Amino acid sequence: MRPAEVIPQPAAFAVDRVLGWAAGCGVLVGIALLPQLLPGYLNLGIALLVLVGWATAWDVLGGWTGQVSLGHAAFVGLGAYTLGLGANTYRMPPWVSAPVAVLLAVGLAWAWGRVTFRLRGPYFTLSTIAVAEILRLGAINERWLTGGGEGIFVRELARPLGLDLFDRHVQYYWALLYAACAVALVAYLAPRRFGYQMRAVREDEEAAQAAGVDPVAVKLRAFMLSAGLVAFGGVLYGAYLSALVPHALFDLRLSVQIALTAIIGGRGTVWGPAVGAVLIVLAAELFRNLFASANLLIYGLLIVLVVLFAPRGIVGQWERWRVRRRYARSVAGR
Amino acid sequence: MREALRAVDVTVRFGGLVALDGVEVVLREGEILGLIGPNGAGKSTLFNALTGYVPLERGRVLFFGQDVTHLPAHARARMGMGRTFQIERPFAELTVLENVLIPAFLHTQDRHKAEQVARALLDRVELGDRALQPAGDLNLARRRRLELARALAVRPRVLFCDEVMAGLTPPAQQEMVTLLRGLSADGIAIVVVEHIMRVIMQLSDHVVVLAAGQKIAEGRPQEVAEDPRVIEAYLGAAVA
Repeated sequence: MRPAEVIPQPAAFAVDRVLGWAAGCGVLVGIALLPQLLPGYLNLGIALLVLVGWATAWDVLGGWTGQVSLGHAAFVGLGAYTLGLGANTYRMPPWVSAPVAVLLAVGLAWAWGRVTFRLRGPYFTLSTIAVAEILRLGAINERWLTGGGEGIFVRELARPLGLDLFDRHVQYYWALLYAACAVALVAYLAPRRFGYQMRAVREDEEAAQAAGVDPVAVKLRAFMLSAGLVAFGGVLYGAYLSALVPHALFDLRLSVQIALTAIIGGRGTVWGPAVGAVLIVLAAELFRNLFASANLLIYGLLIVLVVLFAPRGIVGQWERWRVRRRYARSVAGR
Repeated sequence: MREALRAVDVTVRFGGLVALDGVEVVLREGEILGLIGPNGAGKSTLFNALTGYVPLERGRVLFFGQDVTHLPAHARARMGMGRTFQIERPFAELTVLENVLIPAFLHTQDRHKAEQVARALLDRVELGDRALQPAGDLNLARRRRLELARALAVRPRVLFCDEVMAGLTPPAQQEMVTLLRGLSADGIAIVVVEHIMRVIMQLSDHVVVLAAGQKIAEGRPQEVAEDPRVIEAYLGAAVA
């Protein structure tokens, strides 16, 4: 038995952790006051926060569990359409349509995962593109239900607690709450059993099985969680857009954007997707004035930079460095 | 001593190749079973068949009397089958401690308890001082020991060690022998696949010899070593 010196000095990490949390909280407070400080950027802020939530939710499956989806727009569309159709056709208040949307998404993920998670490698990714496309074509062709290609307009929403959900301020704080909950959920899971089971499945499914982890069950649970979270953001996005068209909501480009946001920020990290979202949205906004509609160029550039200099993503690279430093300290202490 | 594991008529086929043909193995609690045979004899395949990584064409696997033939590998691990992999498979992006944490979570939800178990096991395989190192950075010998710590964290009642000695220096091999002996004294049944004859003869209570997918001999190490069929399988008919 080794003496207690093996245990690393807690003080060294505490500083790290406190700094991290302080920075995180500072950013959150800044974000909370944005509508007052920069009212002109309200729309941008909503788009950014929703993307934080989506990318963080995507990462539960794509980063932590290692199952890359290029079809998460399916859940965005599902959420938005549930809100819109629920309100227009069935007079469903949003506090009913939101859980309905989440349940639909969880159900879809369950059925879809049951079929595809027995396949390995790129098959799951390919299937995700297919499922999102099927929903998009369904939304275009099933005119009786979805209003077809021209889409629908969300005319009226019941007011929860008297809040007007079409009000940009309300939407902003709704989005903030959503993004914060998504990040908090991942931060909660990361150090716990399920967090480690997801990572084990990502790293090596056979070795995970030897550790008693059921890879299919873990992937299914991660997918259902991810899908439900994205759909909730989709409901919010539906209220934000209020004009719902299949081309925008079930778009492959939206799926790709969600995935790239997490990948650039750092897959399998608590803050990576959020950092990725900030980077992408701010860069797009900044360059929009310099080069009109150069979004694709910016993505391309960011991806090349990340692949070259930070293949684990920005936060991923930083985490790696931190783990190495922590180990070096634990050795130096002896 | 109770019977821990019984393989009945285990037959595995890869396409046209019969990798295992009607192999029978019995293992008791606290016993160390050495599995030897020339390259391609089916040792690793037998491991994979017993632990649920390869489906059987025919035959059954009984674990403490319970038929586990159709249970997936993770269910067998939860029942108490621990295994290492011949080509070691660390969760490379995770730290050494986190690697052992994952199987340790099998018996507790509590992070602190799991971490205590994991640290104790790392000390046991002498990786305690590397707990915070990324597992992908370990050298071969340490990866083997990590494999063993991970297998032990599932609290095995039967432990399958696939060439845990390979790449170790003779003193390190001796330490591993002592470690495995200690585990068997705790009542864990152990199956060892090893190429190093000296080690396996010293370690095993009982030896099974495989050649071309069939069991050609079994018995005490000394008996087996003198068996002409075994010598023939290893060295060719001319010598025997």
